[in-house]
Amino acid sequence: MLQGFFQIALTLLILVAIAPLFGRYIARVFLGEKTLLEPIIMPVEGAIYALAGIRAKEDMTGWQYAQALLYTNLVMGIFGYLLIMFQGVLPLNPTKLNAPTWHLGLHTIISFLTNTDQQHYSGETTISYLTQIAGLAFLMFTSAATGLAVGIAFIRGLTGRPLGNYYVDLTRSITRILLPISIISALLLLILGVPQTFAPPATVTTLEGATQYIARGPIAAFESIKLLGENGGGFFGVNSAHPFENPNGGTNLIETLAMLCIPAALIYTYGVFANNKKQAWLLFWMVFTIFIILVGVTAIGEYQGNEIINSILGVEQSNLEGKEVRFGWAETALWAVATTGTMCGAVNGMHDSLMPTGGFSTLFNLFLQIVWGGQGTGTAYLFIYLILTVFLTGLMVGRTPEFLSRKIEKREIVLASVVLLVHPIFVLIPSAIALAFPDTLAGISNPGFHGVSQVVYEYTSAAANNGSGFEGLDDNTLWWNLSTIVSLLGGRYIPIIAILLLADSMAQKQPVPETAGTLRTDSLLFTGVTAGVILILGVLTFFPVLALGPLAEAFQINSSQQSVVSNQPVELLISKTQQPDKDLHLLQPNLKANS
Amino acid sequence: MNSANPASPRSTPQPGGPRSSRKHTPKVNTQGLYQRAIKDAFVKLNPKQMSKNPVMFLVWVGTIITFLVTIEPNLFGSTQGQNPRVFNGLITLILFSTVVFANFAEAVAEGRGKAQADALRSTKSDTIARKILPDGATAEVSSTTLHQGDQVKVIAGDIIPADGEVIAGVASVDESAITGESAPVLKETGSDVASSVTGGTRIISDELTIRITSDPGKGFIDRMIALVEGAERAKTPNEIALTVLLAVLTLVFLFVIATLSPIANYVNSPVSVAVLIALLVALIPTSIGGLLSAIGIACMDRVSQFNVIATSGRAVEVCGDVNTLVLDKTGTITLGNRLAEEFIPVNGHSMEDIANVALAASVFDDTPEGKSIVRLAEKLGASVDFDRTGAEGIEFSAKTRMSGTNLPNGREVRKGAVDAIKGFVAIA
Repeated sequence: MLQGFFQIALTLLILVAIAPLFGRYIARVFLGEKTLLEPIIMPVEGAIYALAGIRAKEDMTGWQYAQALLYTNLVMGIFGYLLIMFQGVLPLNPTKLNAPTWHLGLHTIISFLTNTDQQHYSGETTISYLTQIAGLAFLMFTSAATGLAVGIAFIRGLTGRPLGNYYVDLTRSITRILLPISIISALLLLILGVPQTFAPPATVTTLEGATQYIARGPIAAFESIKLLGENGGGFFGVNSAHPFENPNGGTNLIETLAMLCIPAALIYTYGVFANNKKQAWLLFWMVFTIFIILVGVTAIGEYQGNEIINSILGVEQSNLEGKEVRFGWAETALWAVATTGTMCGAVNGMHDSLMPTGGFSTLFNLFLQIVWGGQGTGTAYLFIYLILTVFLTGLMVGRTPEFLSRKIEKREIVLASVVLLVHPIFVLIPSAIALAFPDTLAGISNPGFHGVSQVVYEYTSAAANNGSGFEGLDDNTLWWNLSTIVSLLGGRYIPIIAILLLADSMAQKQPVPETAGTLRTDSLLFTGVTAGVILILGVLTFFPVLALGPLAEAFQINSSQQSVVSNQPVELLISKTQQPDKDLHLLQPNLKANS
Repeated sequence: MNSANPASPRSTPQPGGPRSSRKHTPKVNTQGLYQRAIKDAFVKLNPKQMSKNPVMFLVWVGTIITFLVTIEPNLFGSTQGQNPRVFNGLITLILFSTVVFANFAEAVAEGRGKAQADALRSTKSDTIARKILPDGATAEVSSTTLHQGDQVKVIAGDIIPADGEVIAGVASVDESAITGESAPVLKETGSDVASSVTGGTRIISDELTIRITSDPGKGFIDRMIALVEGAERAKTPNEIALTVLLAVLTLVFLFVIATLSPIANYVNSPVSVAVLIALLVALIPTSIGGLLSAIGIACMDRVSQFNVIATSGRAVEVCGDVNTLVLDKTGTITLGNRLAEEFIPVNGHSMEDIANVALAASVFDDTPEGKSIVRLAEKLGASVDFDRTGAEGIEFSAKTRMSGTNLPNGREVRKGAVDAIKGFVAIA
């Protein structure tokens, strides 16, 4: 047990140490200050701007920024879709894979375009090497850079600066942040044993004499941006649980940190932009505290294991179903909370097999979207909650609410409300439709409360642009592909437009001088109130669903466990015990995990 | 008829007691307020009025639906559970009282506002104006009946009945009540500034013919009355923003409840309509939505209790944002007169001594300042202990910078500028 908690503590300690360093570096990049990489990158960027015809210093309004973003994404989406649909005739396709169905292809491209990387397929049996690196990995870079650009534009707007130029921000995010760090982490992963090859699958003859194909490919490069960019789409179906994607504890540590570093650092970047490090640290610790609590809840649940199984077997063991033994309960619990918190969506164990407390924490993260949050957008969401808190507390003290010397008025509240409204709509409505017609549409493997969790998780993961799967859904169907596309697009672009317009309207406001009567937003009290507002506004909406999903399941396990102890017949078959196929996931790489 | 109340210090009763204890606002009559509010609470159940507040309207619709399932529990499909009628009936009762209490709060706030407005109305001085009739004769009418375009004649000593423009005559007007400037202003026809006069100011010499330029009911007291009554209350910017937020929250929870039903059906624990409505009302911001308009009216009421004239709801909101108060030396709504507040005895003299001397010095001084000294001295128990007819009042002059009284027994009592008094004492 101690070893497990030590692993978690060490990872978080490194995170706290590197977040301010990264944050300062990101701030320098986007404030246009000189960095160490300047001499190498300047000519590269110059060439890109010249080729693309971008006048680098032109600032955009919120709406121009949003338009530039939408058009760029549309073009990249069309490129990706053509690539995946014509992969059969294109090179670098050693296993001779053909195009997927039109809706699976569309879902895959939109999913990677929106930084979600929800996968209704297994990479090794569906996607050629060319599509993996030129299509999906390309979209991983651009979608992460898009998110980062939005986050930076939002911070600029809040602090009264012009929003900047989308094309410049997009380019800088890639050339100065994502690409250098990806190269370093890819090399580290390579050293630690992750393969990087264009060779076709290895063919081996087993001891029994059977022939086995072992899938491989250019994984190390793919893996680093998958985690750093909060993408999470695995090269293989089982994602980072696969021994080629994440072979040992060392790679697991690097990959966990890669997931967390940029979202955590962006809060510090805000502190540099706003010249208020105190507030940045307070917010950092607030998010950190929520994160720790969720990790704790999940880790303890996994450590204690399933009480029914333990009482039947008469042993005390942690829940190792759906986990890689080389990671154990602690690293899997930390990863599960980190991957859902940062909207990464890569998995190193099956979330379907987590205890109900784990299901609760992961869903909770996806509902809030700010426990570090997605690349760039997570920080923006955090500040939207802060703006709402300023508004509510400002009204309580009887003053017109101000945030960073700018008045919060109707327009800001409308835009912030749009962000608040979008998430429940794109989660709850499709979930309700799917569950209203379970026989024809859902394809749920575990009926009952666990089934509710599965369906809700699928849509939440899509709308929050996370991409991890609770699994157990037969999700490569026309219904699941198309309905999740709606959630993917709605959950990504509507909030981004609202965020940019909000930033624009904040930037254009006349700052009011700060006086003794101004409500200070960098106090411990205010941060505490913010945490309360986040929990109330963010979770209250989803509480009925949480109650019918993981909470009901937890009570069910508890009550059945008591009946086992008192030798009563077990009436309720627990969903957890109904999944013999779950462990097989890990043995059969071509079963999908990150659906 | 922009009749600012304190037209002149001479005609206004001067307030007594220390400033902090004075209350200019007349007593509000709250008799029968609650009976009326209870009645209004039910009158407001009219759906037309309820629909103005979306949050409470939703609760009201919910109440009706739960009432229907109380009568026929199987209206929306069969339900389980024992005594669904009792359960639904209880929910109906709770929801209904929520709606009624919200209406009641609003009615009380409105009632208080109305009472306040009535009290204000009673303070409006109703001046008599000499209206010039078409045939050239003048008729005495109430200033409240004057309309734009009417012509009135004012002569020295009159209060100008309403805002207007001088069309004939030259006169000096005391505008201290409005501008704080104590020196009379010359008003004549023809020039921009000097030809307009304000209601409530007093003409000191000669006479003027004025064409009225404002209709009755547009004066600032009228505006204030309309505000506290809640009649002209436009929503303030913060209120609008808050309403948006509340509407969004309500909408979000509407989705939550609407989608809860199929999800609950899937796990074979269907939720009855009454429970869904109860859950919805618990989730949406019912209390703040129900009390929002009451809060707005209460704020107006509250502000006017502090003798602050808020000309709009926005102004009340601005009150909260005031960081620094910058005052003109006279202010615009002051009386423009100096008043004696207290005597400070020095050199071991008693308060009685100083009150007596001050009274003696001011007994012939009929400036507002002198009168206020007399009032304060009399309040402190001083009395005139000499024969008034034998005494001689000394007028203030710019040369001596003193005024006072020569008593019959030869004593000379003076008050004035410090160095002038110093010189006076030295000579004596």
